[in-house]
This record gives sequence, C-alpha cells and structure tokens, in this order.
Amino acid sequence: MGVTVLQPYPMPEGKSGAYIIDHLGKRLLSLGATHAGQFLVDCETFISTPQHGTPTRAVHVLHNSECPASTFSIIDNGTGKQVALVADNIFDLLMLKMTNTFTSKKQTKIESRGARFEYGDFVIKLGSVTMMEHFKGVLVEIEYKPCITLSYCWEMIREMLQGFLSINVGKEYPSYFTTQTIMNAMGQQQLHKQNDIYEPMDTIKQYLEQFTNYRKHVQMHSAMGGTVGPVMMNTVVGMGRP
Amino acid sequence: MDKLNLTLTAVKNLRSSVRQCFEQLADGTDGEGVEESRNKFVHDFQDRFGAINSQLREVEQLINGLQVPATAYHLGNTTFLAQETSQDRQALYPQLVNSYKWIDKVHDHSFLAFNNLNQNTLRRSYNYCSQKRQRLPFTSFNNDPDHIDKLLSEINHPPHTSYKVLRPFGSNAVAIVSISNVLKAAIVFKGVLIEWVTIKGYDEPLDHDDLWAESRYEVFRKVQEHAHSAMLHFFSPTLPDLAVKSYVTWLNSHVKLFLEPCKRCGKYIANGLPPTWRDLRTLEAFHEECRNS
Amino acid sequence: MAISSARESLSHALNNRFLPNLEYLLQGSILDSAVEHLMHRLKGLCDNVDTSPETFHDLEVCMSLRQPNTNQPLMLRVRRALGRDAPFQMRYLGQPEVDQRRPTLVRSCMDCACTNGILDFLTEMGFRLEFEYIAKGYMFRKGRMKITVSKLIKIVPGKQDMANEPISQSYIVELSVVAPTGQENVGEEMRVFAEQLKPLVQLEKIDYKRLGNIP
Repeated sequence: MGVTVLQPYPMPEGKSGAYIIDHLGKRLLSLGATHAGQFLVDCETFISTPQHGTPTRAVHVLHNSECPASTFSIIDNGTGKQVALVADNIFDLLMLKMTNTFTSKKQTKIESRGARFEYGDFVIKLGSVTMMEHFKGVLVEIEYKPCITLSYCWEMIREMLQGFLSINVGKEYPSYFTTQTIMNAMGQQQLHKQNDIYEPMDTIKQYLEQFTNYRKHVQMHSAMGGTVGPVMMNTVVGMGRP
Repeated sequence: MDKLNLTLTAVKNLRSSVRQCFEQLADGTDGEGVEESRNKFVHDFQDRFGAINSQLREVEQLINGLQVPATAYHLGNTTFLAQETSQDRQALYPQLVNSYKWIDKVHDHSFLAFNNLNQNTLRRSYNYCSQKRQRLPFTSFNNDPDHIDKLLSEINHPPHTSYKVLRPFGSNAVAIVSISNVLKAAIVFKGVLIEWVTIKGYDEPLDHDDLWAESRYEVFRKVQEHAHSAMLHFFSPTLPDLAVKSYVTWLNSHVKLFLEPCKRCGKYIANGLPPTWRDLRTLEAFHEECRNS
Repeated sequence: MAISSARESLSHALNNRFLPNLEYLLQGSILDSAVEHLMHRLKGLCDNVDTSPETFHDLEVCMSLRQPNTNQPLMLRVRRALGRDAPFQMRYLGQPEVDQRRPTLVRSCMDCACTNGILDFLTEMGFRLEFEYIAKGYMFRKGRMKITVSKLIKIVPGKQDMANEPISQSYIVELSVVAPTGQENVGEEMRVFAEQLKPLVQLEKIDYKRLGNIP
C-alpha cells in the first residue's frame, strides 16, 4: 500500500465526462502506461433516526475494489468526532441489522468507477463520479506503491499529475494531509499527516472528502433551483470540518 | 531356541521322508509283474509309511513342548517375504530409472559447474593460489565474528538508519539495514566481504529465511541492480573494512531516493522510475538513462 | 468487464449459500479436577494434536443497542486477544432456535474481523456496554468442528488483570460449527462427536430462554 493522492479534475466548459476520461486515458497510454483493469469506490451513508438529546450521527460505509475483502466505515457523531473502522465485508450485513436506528440515504449513494492504469510503480485511476446515475465529475487517483509517506514522494506525484493532467498543482501538500483534525483524550489536535505512514483508510477518507463535496454541490444547486424537496435537504452530512 | 531348532529339524526330516515316499510311489515297480519285486515294493512303502508316522508323532510332541514366545520375534527383513514380490506390481523399475537419471544429471551438472567455477577469475571469496606464485593469503575472508560486529558498530550512521546483524548461516553475518521509511536492505557477508545485497521496500518483509526474493516494486529491483554493480565497484580485498564502510555510505544516500530530482535532466520521473542511480563518488542522483550521456 | 460492487458479491455469496452464517452449538461444563481427562480425550480425537493444543486468552465485551420498534436490543460481542497482536473479532448472534428435531442448537451468526477502533466506533453509534469477561483456555479442531475448553474469568472493575477471578470451579466446553444455510448434516456430525466425549462431559443444546435472563 503506497501513498495515494486524490485529485478532482476541473471540468472544462462544454466537455462531457466521457470525453475527458477518454482523453486522459489516451494520454496515459501514449506516455507508456498500460491498462490494468477496472476499479470502483462506492459510498453509502446511514443517518441515525433523530432522538431527543442526541445529535444526528452519520455512518459512512465505503468499499474500495483495491481492498475487496474490506469494508471501510467512518462514523461522524455530529459533534466533530470521527471514528474510522476497517472490517470484513460482513459489516455490510451488520449495518442492515440496525435499520431501525440507522437508515440508508439511498439518494446520496455515490460512486467513482473507471479504468485503472499502471506506469512503473504508479497506479493511476480515472474515475467518473456518479450519484443516482447522474454524472458528477472526474476524480483522478494516483498511487505510488513503493513509498509509504507522502512527504518523501509528493514531488514525484506532483510531477506525474502535472505531466499528464497538464493542470497546475501547487507545491504545498494536498489539503487532506495538512489539515487533518482529530479529537482524542487531549482534545482537538492538528496532525500533519504528510510524515505519517500511509494506510488504506487514508485513501478512503480522501474519497469521502471529495464525495461530500459533490453532495454539498447538489444541495446548493437544489437549494438555488428549489426543485428538490426537503428530503434532499437533510442529506448533507457534516464532516466535522468548518 | 534349541527346542525350536529340534522341531524345525524334525519337520525337515518329515518333509524329506514324505518326499522320498512319494518318489518311490512314482517310480513304481521295476519288473514286469514279478511277485517278488511287487512284495518288496509294498514292503518298502510300508516301512517308509511307518517312518512318516513316527516322525509325524515326534513333530507333534515337539510342537506341544514348545512355549508360546512372550514377544513376537523380530524377523528383520524376512517379514517382507510375505509381501508382494512381483516386480511389475511394485513400480520399482520406473523409480529406479528416475533416480538413475537424477544421479546422472547431478553428476553432469556438478562437473560443468566445477569447470566453470574454476575458470572464473572473478572469484572474490576464495583464492586458489597456484603453488608457483605463492602470495600472501588474503585476510578479507577470514571470519572473525567480533570483527564484523565491531566494524558495523563503527560505521557512523545517520540517525534514520538502523542495522540489525543476524547470523543465520553459522558465523557469516547478514546485516539488515533499514534506511528511514524508504527501504530495507539485507547485506550478506562472507567474512568481511559483501557477497550479496537484497533491496526491498519498507513495507515488504525481509527475513533471514527469505533473503533472495526480489522486491515486488520495480524501483527497488532497479536499485538492487545498481547496488550489485556498486558492490563490485567498492570491492577491495586489500582494504576490506574500508570497502564495507564506503559501500554502506553509498547505500545510505538512498534515503532521498524519492526526494531528489535527477542531477542531469532535473526531472523526478523517467520511464516511471525516480532517479535510481547514485554516483559512486559524489552520491548525486541520476536516472539510469541520464548517468552516461 | 465491469467490476461488481462489494454489496453485490456479498448478496451473491448469501444467495448461493457459501457464506457461513449459521452456528450449530452444543455446550457443557466440566469440573476443574476432571479437565485433564477431557484434554487427553480431545487430544486423541482431534486433528491438531501434532502440536500442543492451541491456547487462547480473550477479552469479550458485549455491547447492546436499544432500537426503536423492537423489543430485543441488538447485541454485538467484540473479542480481543490479550497478549497477542490480532484483529478484533466482532460477532453477531441471533436468537437461538431449540428445535426438538435438530440435534444441536442453531442460531444465526456473523463474524467480522475489525480494526481496534471498533469499541469506540460502537460507542459512537449508541451502543452501551452490557457485560464483559475474559475467556482463557484451549481450542481443538476436528474437521470443521471447533471445540473450546475455556475458563471464564470475571472482570473486577478498576482492577485490571490483577484481581480477576474465575466465575466458577469448572470449565465451559463448547462444540460449534459455523456453516452456510442448508447444511443439515452438520448437526448429526456434531451429535456423533459429542457422544464420544461422554461420560466425561455431557454436551447439550441449552435453551437460554428457560434459564431466564442470564447472559
């Protein structure tokens, strides 16, 4: 498991998602990368039924085809505390045992799927994000397998991203690695994750961050257009980051 | 035991008498209806028959006198006599042919290997000095465990590097070197000489029982290739300690394997790999393609 | 080829009956003084005898969640190996069925390995601690049957590991198989094995409902 960076691809005006993916894929192949299968990352969010005195809790359940035997889940207790868990796939069935307390928000089921490329020790995934069958955007995932801390190989990853995405990527570390806030016994703490040893959970958290952005986006649109009822309004899940 | 022997002899006697008796019966009379010879024949037969009877009685008596042995007799290989002896059903022949072929092959290969190894002048650990040119024997492969320990502890290593010395093959040392969170290397010593180096990623297992498996990552396989050529470069049988020290210093420069751009082209990635080559003298980083041009 | 989602492959496993989700269970107990004899018998009968019997020393924590519109709280048991680095094991156990026609107790069962954040995770979900104890003992294997001989140790709150004392003067013996739905011959296999442990230990299907609300 190496360091992975997730980068949303800015959508140019008037281009379809399929076109962008095709374009990027061709560029990768001409660079010397080889096509190596498909991938899928999906996310389903369960919301606790409102009870007196307790804030609404959200359980995000994610899967990554790169770790096919694991289910990743992150609980957000509504007050900014998050707990992450990696479990066997059976965890999905256990969630179904709690349907009286935690109900799935089917409307916000979101996934990123697409082709997987390999270039040397790099793995590049071009994912098109869809929510309820609607296209939302393009997420580019890039993994450098031999390295386990971002601070060692960020410049390499940045060069790769700039090389074939031809977008400007800042010199500073991606926001996920710099503004990680966790709560523990000592209260809130800022962690600088760029020096930590990378774990599969970090990939999942980055996906959740991006997925949440896409969901917020939907809500903003619907709030402006006023076409979607209040059901959708409730679906935005706080990520504990102001 | 004596009793048993007596019984066995009695059984043997009985068997031979019975056999003689039947032989006589089979031969029949010699004359043509001569009364005398016929009588003699019957008489002989009765004699033999009587002898058989008495011998049979003797055998029975002896058997009754035998004691049941407390433990089973150990019969050695004779126990196998009762088993199937037909060659076709034992499938011995194909096995025999196979093992013969094996031995033949082993013989051939070892002969070729022996010849090849003798021709190889690059032998580093062993020096078979011919008697004509008697030289001072090298001390570099002399095996003094304390010396290696002392040597490795003397190498002033940066804080991000750690050494662990194992001796899985008797007195020869294997040093497992972890360089920061970047890579792990196993250096196999023969005396003070470096025999082999394996480079692996930080998250890959590197145990003393699996020192020869290659890394699953392309970059570390490439680094290992370079590490081998550097090993030959630093090889110095006259100053073995210095060779080890400078080699380890060179190896330590890989701490910035992913952090340094190529000195020549200024880029990080070429052909999907970071600059994997470190200059032997200046320790500067180069892509494999960039170092000679 | 399109890649199938984790949920799809899970329901595929359920529908095709290769997801083990039923536990067949027989239980009994044996006095401390006689446990040596049972160990010898098991060593003779079981598969993993070439090495000494596998030991375990686990802390089991039972967490419960009271859900609206249901009478029974949802119980999840989390097991952690003490003195060994292993993933936490979370286990869901359904209501036991004691069917007269079946030779064993049958209950639905889901085992799930987790990272060590599980207790914190469950607490945030609203689960509350129900009870906890330490189980220490030996594990044997015979085919797909698992036999555990374990001592239950109660936990004195506030005093870690030190003053913990056994719950009783006996060992609990459990014979269990976790198998997919629809494999009825498992019960018979277990009954035959339990027969061989008599009269040292009488393995039975224990009806918890009759015992009242003893955990």
